[in-house]
Amino acid sequence: MDVDSRAEVAYADDEPSAFASMLGGLIEANVRSHPEKERDFESLKARVGIWVTDIDEGVTLEFARGKLIVHNGLKPRRTLTIRADADTVMSLSNLKIGLLGLPVYYDEVGRGVALKLLSGKLKIDGLLPNVMTLNTVTRIFSVQ
Amino acid sequence: MAVKAFSNEWAKAFKAEVNNSSTYKAAGKGWKWTVGLVVEAEPDKHFPDAKGIVMDLFDGEARDIKVGPASDAQKCDFVITAPYTRWKEVATSQLDATKGMLQGKLKLKGDLPTIVRYTKASQEMTLCTTRIPVEWPDEK
Repeated sequence: MDVDSRAEVAYADDEPSAFASMLGGLIEANVRSHPEKERDFESLKARVGIWVTDIDEGVTLEFARGKLIVHNGLKPRRTLTIRADADTVMSLSNLKIGLLGLPVYYDEVGRGVALKLLSGKLKIDGLLPNVMTLNTVTRIFSVQ
Repeated sequence: MAVKAFSNEWAKAFKAEVNNSSTYKAAGKGWKWTVGLVVEAEPDKHFPDAKGIVMDLFDGEARDIKVGPASDAQKCDFVITAPYTRWKEVATSQLDATKGMLQGKLKLKGDLPTIVRYTKASQEMTLCTTRIPVEWPDEK
């Protein structure tokens, strides 16, 4: 389904990295095809860093209420920073969204993500004061 | 016995590996799109012409895998493109395909949410390629 979306995704760098293009493209496709994700996208104001530990690459996602600017690398003043290996980043995109719009952590994918968080293989800086922001980002990010 | 890289024999062995994989059968449930792999030429590695691998995958099964011109693979719903050396790295477990895509070493064309939803299936397909004994043209 392709909704009449006003969602706008732009890239801060003249040459976005492959990871930046992939994340930006993923979020744009998600938001354009799911009205509930678009509502989240319209409301979210946050700077979210994602660092992929096993390829030493990252992005900063600057959400500005209906607009997203994707930066290569980690930029200052981030609300949240997610650090994990490539497989875990892909798992985050595969988290199911359950009741009340909360990510599901009790199925196979969810348990895997929770275990990586507990074992320190997935680190989220700024998590405690920004749990709601993380949930919103997860909903926008999820392909399930 | 080793088969020539990206030959018809290789495609046959690849199809058999995919269909022998219970992991792929489960992870690929619901998949209904064609996938094309474009192997770009590297004459200095004795791989003079680009080749295309067209995979007809459906609901956890490889119905057909064929090797032909790159243009055939480029018509598929999902297309992954890389030079010969990169594909060799994938097939010899030196490059993880997921990381390769995030790094732009393997270029992906197609609906991103769909391919991300089937990450486990694509990882298992990559593992299937690593199980095939291959005769590489640059190792002769």
